[in-house]
Amino acid sequence: MFQTLCGRSIRAAQLCARRRAVVVESIRGRKSRNDPVAKSKEGRIKMPPPVDPVEMVVLKERFTEYTLIMTALRLEFREELLRKKYEAEMGSLAAERVRKEADEHRALMDWNRAENQRMLQLRMQRIQKEKEEAEGKELEAALELEQKRQEFIRIKEEEVLQLQEEAKHFITLENLDQRIEEALDNPKNYNFAIDKGGRVIKQTVLK
Amino acid sequence: MVHLSSVLLKQYHGGYVVLRLALAGHNQANRPFYRIVAAFNKRARDGKYIEQLGTYDPLPNIYNEKLVSFNYDRIKYWYGCGAHPTKSVAKLLGLAGFFPLHPMTVTGAERHRAQAAQMDASIIKDEEEEQG
Repeated sequence: MFQTLCGRSIRAAQLCARRRAVVVESIRGRKSRNDPVAKSKEGRIKMPPPVDPVEMVVLKERFTEYTLIMTALRLEFREELLRKKYEAEMGSLAAERVRKEADEHRALMDWNRAENQRMLQLRMQRIQKEKEEAEGKELEAALELEQKRQEFIRIKEEEVLQLQEEAKHFITLENLDQRIEEALDNPKNYNFAIDKGGRVIKQTVLK
Repeated sequence: MVHLSSVLLKQYHGGYVVLRLALAGHNQANRPFYRIVAAFNKRARDGKYIEQLGTYDPLPNIYNEKLVSFNYDRIKYWYGCGAHPTKSVAKLLGLAGFFPLHPMTVTGAERHRAQAAQMDASIIKDEEEEQG
């Protein structure tokens, strides 16, 4: 169908591409089907090569013999092929081979099963360990949470107590006048001096 | 799997199996080398083949030998499955002794011998004419 590119078609393609009139090499079949015959070949009649009848008879005989032998060989080879095939499938060795293969298969399947069991055991143990660890962690987490909650409660209680203590010294509407009087009576001096050595001097000019 | 040229295969490929010479290795000009190959009939000569069954080097080597190789076991297989060898392959196998000798080999040899005898006779005649 699709012919491979041989010398002819390559050459033809090159000629068409470059438009050269002269063909450098001599290729067979330069002319297409519908091209006119050359002047020098006008009256030419192509004759087949001459046949020697004696030789032809001898040749025919030789060919019949040859084809006979070839067909015989073909049938013999076919028979050998079929015998080999039969031998491979039904012979004495074949049954043994099948049996051995079956045994091997069974052994391998057993081994596979054993391996699966082993892996199962290991997996179960691992899962158990992981579960226990998870449980332990959960317990620990719960304990910690409880502790934190207790701590929180304690701190809050302390704060409440502290607030209660401070509440005693709050200024209320009843104490207001008294506290004002007290404050006016005791002026506090918050000024102080400090030097680089860290010595504090509370005594100032202001009273 | 037996490669039978069965009806199905014939329908698909539309042909039969041949044992022929396929030109190998187009990397060098003027240096042919053939592979003896089992291929389907309609395939290109150098195209995809089913199996390689040997080689043939048409140019003689330094000891003036043309080297050929065959895989007899597989050739038997393919021939038994119904492959057709081409003329050249049949001739080569005939010369190798695997098949019977091809008639054209014998005929060619006879013709060549007759021609050589004729040439000798004509040379002798010319010499006699020159002497006489």
